[in-house]
Amino acid sequence: MVQSKKQKYLFLAFCLIPTFVMFSIFTLYPLFSGLYYSFFEWSGASQDKEFIGFSNYIQLINDEIIPMTIVHDYFLVAAKVLGIMVLALFFAVALTQLKIKEAPFYRIVFFFPNIMSVVVIGILWTFIYNPSLGLINSGLQFIGLEDWARPWLGSEKWALPSLVIPSVWAGIGLFMLMLMGGIANVSKSYYEAAEIDGANEWQQFWKVTLPLVWPQIKISILYIVITTLNGSFIIVQIMTGGGPNNSTHVMGSYLYEQAFVQYNFGYGAAIGVMILILSLVTVLILQFFMRRERVEY
Amino acid sequence: MKRTGIRIPLVLWSLAVLYPIIWMFIGSFKSNGEIYANPWGLPKSLNLENFTTAWTEYNIDTSVFNSLIVTVVGALLTLVLAIPTAYAIERLRFRGSQLLFTLYVSAMMIPMVLGWIPLFFLLARFNMLDNIYGLAIVYAVSQLPFTIFVLTSFMSTIPKSLEESAAIDGLSPYGVLLKIITPLSMSGIITVTIMNAIQFWNEYFMALIFLQTEENYTLALAIDFISSEAQYTNAWGTLFASLTIAIVPVIILYAIFQQRIAKGMTEGAIKG
Repeated sequence: MVQSKKQKYLFLAFCLIPTFVMFSIFTLYPLFSGLYYSFFEWSGASQDKEFIGFSNYIQLINDEIIPMTIVHDYFLVAAKVLGIMVLALFFAVALTQLKIKEAPFYRIVFFFPNIMSVVVIGILWTFIYNPSLGLINSGLQFIGLEDWARPWLGSEKWALPSLVIPSVWAGIGLFMLMLMGGIANVSKSYYEAAEIDGANEWQQFWKVTLPLVWPQIKISILYIVITTLNGSFIIVQIMTGGGPNNSTHVMGSYLYEQAFVQYNFGYGAAIGVMILILSLVTVLILQFFMRRERVEY
Repeated sequence: MKRTGIRIPLVLWSLAVLYPIIWMFIGSFKSNGEIYANPWGLPKSLNLENFTTAWTEYNIDTSVFNSLIVTVVGALLTLVLAIPTAYAIERLRFRGSQLLFTLYVSAMMIPMVLGWIPLFFLLARFNMLDNIYGLAIVYAVSQLPFTIFVLTSFMSTIPKSLEESAAIDGLSPYGVLLKIITPLSMSGIITVTIMNAIQFWNEYFMALIFLQTEENYTLALAIDFISSEAQYTNAWGTLFASLTIAIVPVIILYAIFQQRIAKGMTEGAIKG
């Protein structure tokens, strides 16, 4: 059957156009008009949209909450990268290389939080941190460390670090699986050769596993960084709402507050642009520093 | 012998993962008195009062229904849009196919929160604000990049000869797509659909922004609402029960499709 050109183009249009139209309306258009809105002062009612040039950005530079939110975001990024990567790498190596019989059980259990809703995780952990009913304080009391008990999420000093634990708790499984996939692809002959050369397990990890799994490690780190900068506000919003006294506000939760609570939509859009720029720049910088020759043995 | 040392952290982390979840299940059967008296203890009896309270007084039934609609409509719409596009990008050579693929895939890296402000006004203009079908559309489009990404990689493994012989037998390109490609990519379609469905069932923030009235709340919003109510009413048992209601369907899906979900999540995660 020879298709005419016209039929071919019709089919191509049938395949591509509806999807592209929907994507343009609900993804591309909102992103670009987000940029556009950032040059307006706008409380949401259509009459009072006023073009104010870069004023939102000038306000952003002078807003003393903004630097705090950026610091909080990067604190979460650093803590999550460190916590998740160390534990995920440890578990991945333990479950693939050490011939543990019950490894499938751990694999299933560790991944389970990854399919739970962030609302459920957030509320569950808010409860675990609850000063009087929660597991942590009552547990500390039980083992005689009641001096350590404190209102975790209600304390300006402890609230932000307290958010790291549920984030790591919820994130490890996915990255463990990604790294396990990488380790499974490393040929056994490298380990055999290393063993003949007299390398112990620890040396094998540093000299064989780590360099050969580097691509997966790199992708995992980038992925944690992107998802944290773009999405850390969700857990913040659920667990602390940015408080106490702004001590846990991140860029996204501040955007939400400015736009959807205070109705400063233009200013919120400017914060959104800042998040976009910061995450793109961060990814570029990271990619530059994590560039490393692909290892071939 | 030395493996015991390795097992200790594995056992500890299993406890750290499982205990809070088990604690939540147990809590959903406890009365408030029991929760206050001993947070770590077991309930005296297995009473279902918390569940009935959540279901009837806090209208969890409506939100479960809303979440089901959003999940099913969203997941189906994602497929209807993504399958033809994935097929065209993967199999039909046309100018700009690589560019289009890059455009879709790079959308996965962009902070969507920037787009939510205009999206809010866009939905208002379309009369789709505070409307679960509007939310389902937004969900479906938000998962397009990921779905197209996964489906193109699945479709690349289908042998080309099958399409060619079907075309020689007189099947139209629409027929090839519907009767050859779609059934042959079924395993990829199922995997990505389960993941999308879990995503839609769990989603919280867009629902928070785009839904307003209680009768339109999805489950995520309903439990968030109960959670903030509980600060004043101390309905902790009810809160535990509604958290349990929210994760039971996901547990069932996970139990059935555990291997597929894990595989799909990691394949989908490898991006950027």
